[in-house]
Amino acid sequence: MSDYSLGEFQELVLLIVAALHKEAYGVAILKNLEQETGKKFNISAVHMALKRMEDKGFVESTYGGITNERGGRRKKYYVITALGKKILDEQFSLRTRIYQKIPKISFN
Amino acid sequence: MKPLPPKKSLQFLRWFCREDYLEEFEGDLIEIFEEDFDLSPAKARRKFSWSVIRYFRPKFIKFFRSKNNLNPITMLKNDLKVSYRSLKKQPFFTFLNIFGLAIGMAGCLLISLFILDELSHDKMFQDADRIYRLKIDNRTAGETTKYAAVSPPLAGTIVRDYPQAELVTRFRGMGSLLLRRVDAEQNVKEDYVAGADSSFLKMFGLTLLEGNTEDVLKEPNTLILTKTAAQKHFGVDKALGQSLMLDNNELYRVTGVMEDLPQNSFLRNYSIFVSIEGFEDSRSIAWNNWNFPTFVKLLPDASEQDFVDYMAGVKERYLIPWAMTFVPGLTLESSREDDKKTGSFMNFGCTPLTDIHLYSENRKGEFNPNSSIQNIYILSFIGFFLILLACVNFMNLSTAHSLKRSKEVGIRKTLGSTKMGLVRQFLTEASLISLISLLFAMLIAFLTLPFFNQLADKAISIPFQQPTFWIILMVAVIVLGLFSGSYPAFFMSRFMPVKVLKGSGSTSSGGGNIRNSLVIFQFVISVFLIVCTLVVFQQLSFIQNKDLGFQKDQVLVIENVDAAGPQLESFKQEVQQLGQVKDVSLSSFLPTPSARNGTTLFPEGRVLQGESAIIIGHWRIDHDYISTLDLDIIAGRGFDRQFPTDSNAIILNESAVAMLNVQPEEALGIRLTNDFRRKDKENMQFYTVIGVVKNFHFESLRNDIEAISMILGNDPSRMMAKLSSGDFSNAIANIEQIWNRVAPGQPFSHYFMDDSFNETYKSEVRLGSIFITFTILSIFIACLGLFGLAAFNAERRTKEIGIRKVLGASISQIAYKLSINFLKLVFISIFVAIPLSWYAMNKWLQDFSYRIEIGWWIFLLAAFLAIVISVLTVSFQSIRAAIASPIKSLRSE
Repeated sequence: MSDYSLGEFQELVLLIVAALHKEAYGVAILKNLEQETGKKFNISAVHMALKRMEDKGFVESTYGGITNERGGRRKKYYVITALGKKILDEQFSLRTRIYQKIPKISFN
Repeated sequence: MKPLPPKKSLQFLRWFCREDYLEEFEGDLIEIFEEDFDLSPAKARRKFSWSVIRYFRPKFIKFFRSKNNLNPITMLKNDLKVSYRSLKKQPFFTFLNIFGLAIGMAGCLLISLFILDELSHDKMFQDADRIYRLKIDNRTAGETTKYAAVSPPLAGTIVRDYPQAELVTRFRGMGSLLLRRVDAEQNVKEDYVAGADSSFLKMFGLTLLEGNTEDVLKEPNTLILTKTAAQKHFGVDKALGQSLMLDNNELYRVTGVMEDLPQNSFLRNYSIFVSIEGFEDSRSIAWNNWNFPTFVKLLPDASEQDFVDYMAGVKERYLIPWAMTFVPGLTLESSREDDKKTGSFMNFGCTPLTDIHLYSENRKGEFNPNSSIQNIYILSFIGFFLILLACVNFMNLSTAHSLKRSKEVGIRKTLGSTKMGLVRQFLTEASLISLISLLFAMLIAFLTLPFFNQLADKAISIPFQQPTFWIILMVAVIVLGLFSGSYPAFFMSRFMPVKVLKGSGSTSSGGGNIRNSLVIFQFVISVFLIVCTLVVFQQLSFIQNKDLGFQKDQVLVIENVDAAGPQLESFKQEVQQLGQVKDVSLSSFLPTPSARNGTTLFPEGRVLQGESAIIIGHWRIDHDYISTLDLDIIAGRGFDRQFPTDSNAIILNESAVAMLNVQPEEALGIRLTNDFRRKDKENMQFYTVIGVVKNFHFESLRNDIEAISMILGNDPSRMMAKLSSGDFSNAIANIEQIWNRVAPGQPFSHYFMDDSFNETYKSEVRLGSIFITFTILSIFIACLGLFGLAAFNAERRTKEIGIRKVLGASISQIAYKLSINFLKLVFISIFVAIPLSWYAMNKWLQDFSYRIEIGWWIFLLAAFLAIVISVLTVSFQSIRAAIASPIKSLRSE
């Protein structure tokens, strides 16, 4: 099952890839991530997570067209795969299920 | 104009990053950089560089990924399969390679085992690293002698005065002696007997199998037997408490039985250790008699240098004060001055136990003959070159045959094989050959080991049961495979597929120059070894046949004749009367190398004047000694029964006369004394010189002839009988018969003197035979290579030969054409090898006092041999190619 495991950071990145749908490439993912979490990340960490998940088959990637931006380098867009979506769903339902088991707690 | 990111960082990223990720990473990095640049250029640059460094992780680095993710085990299997097929396809070539390598390896293996055995000497003793043997180097009147033994009082002195010494033990060499059980009639001769202190077992960490290790040898007339000796006389468990009669006059009790001593220790072969408590001279306080091999164990933290310094001071601290008690007027200063004037010295010193075998030369009083580190170097050199020659063969044959495989390489490359893949393929092939060779080498080594042991006088076995042995072998095989395969592998994997597949350039096989140099290299070594072998053998025959100054042939020596007791004289008379016996002499002193005593002599009138003392050999002989050995008298006369005064006469040899600084004729009548220690000086005994004999070689020819003096004396232990030619066995049988009558029960031990003389040169003869064996091996290996190359060459030029023949070339012309290139190489090798071998052999010969000159004919002969051998090797192939019918060679195509 280790192949289907998903770290916390990877899960966040995967969520953002799914949310950005078709517009998800390295810098865009990084910016969204920083915006959502309010923390600073290095781009290499994002790439690491993306490549790992690509190996596991949670995301797929395609090159975009050549533009004058980025020194002429193409963007690489990531989309979530069916497997990736399923994993996300499982994670979500698992958490929800357990969360619902929490009794009402008063913290006074 | 867009801002540019830091160049260095970008270069670095491009250098390490995987190609398939690079564009994406660069793009994202640059996008971030450009955005940041507007805010702060410096910060943007820093951030860019930092991010690049963050990418430096295994997942993104290209070197950690093989381009074509191949399963290494499958690849190895495939490589092995392909190797097997290509080896099978060229059986002749494979055979040459494996055969050459196997012989080289076997030789190298044997040599390595030999060297390991030599290096292991005396290391098995407990605390071997802090045990030292004491020694003396003495030079008097121009004669230097090196002793492995020291004065009897030194051991006790060290115990008393040198607190850093943990233990001191003394031995006393005893030579051979006769031995029998009390209840037995028959004596047995034991050659390896030594006197020993009671601390001897403790010193070397030995324990007894039977008996009490603590108390053994403390009493006089007790002894220890080794297991073998105990078995021989009593049986191991029955020996304890038994008595043995030594030399027919002293009864000794067995108080211990010990394990046999290891063959690689200085005490090897010794079987009996006698307590020296009962020896008269063990309590002697005389510092000028050096008969006691003495060992000192220092405390673990003691400094070696300090002990060396202490030993250097022994002469002035103990010996001179002792000599002052009887030499009037002797002071430290006067002795120093004498030494300075005459160049004499007497140096006390020490040798670490583990250096005895290889670094201490052969001193007087050694237990067993030592080897020398020089022999180890020579052998390592030979072993190394043996294996190198075999590797060179492999390289030569492989590159030569590369032509045949160039198409294979081309196809493989076209189909996507990488250079590394090809290199791996060829290296696998080389390793496979080297592995197969190893198996054969082990077989060869195993089968030839008994002969090698005989040759080297060793008892070596192959340590099959030791895991380290196998590990070393495996590593050696891989290293050899990689080494010999490296050049061919890189050479062949460089082929351009376009060229080799098109067929151009395939008529000449590349690497010709390197191949030629390798052949030259092989023949340089071969010629070098041939010259060395010739010189060693010439020197050996020179020293064996040199006129020694006395007749050693047909002289029968009978040992231990003193066992006859009072019957000795009548034994001599009876032997004398035998028809085949020309002369008989009784003496303990033989003109063969052995341990002897020296004495100090002063000429009359200069007694006890330091510089006029001569320390020379002092032999006791009888009236017939000189005639039996045919010594040349150059002045005066020999001992004569008509002169009763001859009991006070002395005969010197030329060296001794030279020490007196006179001519032989002038020496006659000089009176000498060694009786200078007595108090009543007026009664001092003098010997008058009555004759001078020509120098004769009684030591190994490694040494100069020592000075000796000869007096009439009693107590002979050996008989020499000069026989006339004829049936020796009959004469020996007759003498034995007489012996058994006059001395019933005593062993009759005899040998011919020339045999014993040959013993002296055993180590040279052994070196010679080892040399010639491995020389032949290496020449053989070199020839295998040359043979292979010649075969290949002939094959490659089949068509050319065919066309030449059709156009009218004769067989001899073609054979010449095919051979001459190789011969050129051999000629070059000869010119390189001759100066090298001349230099090396000159160095070796320096060791001999009497040596040959290396004549030019030796080099000529070596060159001739090398040429003949190579011509024979090459011409076989050349002639075969030359006589082949051109129809056959030209038909194909």
